[in-house]
Amino acid sequence: MTDPKQVKATEAEAIERAKQGDEAAFEVLYHLHKRRVYSLCLRMVSNPAQAEDLAQEAFLQLFRKISTFRGESAFSTWLHRMTVNVVLMNLRKKGLPLVSLEETIESDEETPRKELGAPDVKLTGSIDRLQLQRAIDRLPPGYKTVFVLHDVEGFEHNEIAQMAGCSIGNSKSQLHKARLKLRDYLKFMRAEKAENT
Amino acid sequence: MTCADVQKVLPEIMDGSPNGEFQTHLKSCPACAELVSDLELIASEARQLAATDEPAPRVWVKIAAELRSEGIIREPEAASAHPVLVPSAGRRWNAWWLAPVAAALVAAGAYLLNREPARQVASENPPAATSVSKETPAAAAPVVNPKPAEQIAVQKAPKVIDRGEPDDQAPMATVSTEDQQFLNGVGQRSPGMRATYESQLQAVNSYIRDAEAYLKQNPGDEDARQQLMNAYEQKAMLYQMALDHVQ
Repeated sequence: MTDPKQVKATEAEAIERAKQGDEAAFEVLYHLHKRRVYSLCLRMVSNPAQAEDLAQEAFLQLFRKISTFRGESAFSTWLHRMTVNVVLMNLRKKGLPLVSLEETIESDEETPRKELGAPDVKLTGSIDRLQLQRAIDRLPPGYKTVFVLHDVEGFEHNEIAQMAGCSIGNSKSQLHKARLKLRDYLKFMRAEKAENT
Repeated sequence: MTCADVQKVLPEIMDGSPNGEFQTHLKSCPACAELVSDLELIASEARQLAATDEPAPRVWVKIAAELRSEGIIREPEAASAHPVLVPSAGRRWNAWWLAPVAAALVAAGAYLLNREPARQVASENPPAATSVSKETPAAAAPVVNPKPAEQIAVQKAPKVIDRGEPDDQAPMATVSTEDQQFLNGVGQRSPGMRATYESQLQAVNSYIRDAEAYLKQNPGDEDARQQLMNAYEQKAMLYQMALDHVQ
């Protein structure tokens, strides 16, 4: 297991070397944070190619400004904030809602159908990671943003409200609706799987 | 407190501290208790999804190329103080060989992916071999001529580069002839990029090795099959990017 103190020391040293233009230092920083950054982008846009572009853009923006990094906040916090901003900017450009003010009207395809006579499926125990990923992918964009930022990435409602430009109450409400929708999706997937086996 | 009241206060309570009234209701209402338990489970499982996915090696290659073009990455002084001499005509690295190698890598991957499942399924279920080959027409008609694909596969499999994390299951760290030639070529034309391509090549080779091992154990996993195909494509893309970079 990697020692967090050692990682911090490596990161601090790499930041200083990166400020001098050392390629190996940039690469160390990239490898330390690539999974978190890419996963965040992927969760938010549900498209690997687009997520790669966004991760690339986030790292480039950060590396261009690395000489201004003074260490007042954690490097990872700075990077993740920047990644969220890059993703949200991309969603804004596409005209997608960052946070829905009202319940998004869904197509039949997005809504799980409740089959008559389907067993009363329970989620208790654990949730398959792949199924959860697929369920998140199906969330409407507004719900997805708040859910990913809060439940996956650990941002607080006040931070989400600031980044997405909504109220704290709106963020809480969207998160709750997203969780309810995920519960429906997951139950539906579990019932479907049980039927096929 | 009624079930309707619970629904109203739930968004606030889920991320705060539940009051006594709420707790009392949950004890007497299995439906609401199950709802709260499910929502808590979703929230806790979601945290496990952070940092689960690995970006393709090409992402770093593109970032490094961009930083270099913007002058943010600076060439090491040693490299600029000793410019690389133009190789003699006889030893001159011809980058054009990379294009067919890149294409062959993808073709080899496609061929192997189409060939493996039928062979494995057939060996597991000998009496059903005929029907299996009907269900997987690609196996009966490989997308490329099998001979070159076999040759590449034989060279590739035991010679995967890996100088990353130690792995007891991994073969000894060696570099294939093609990869070495590729890195030498990059090093001659663009010394500063050699380390970048080498680390990316190691990453993608390691990824291919892991994906092949996983697929061997789980021949029916279509996602894994697709990931292996993607890995072959990424390796081909690395070769192609090098070709673009050095021209």
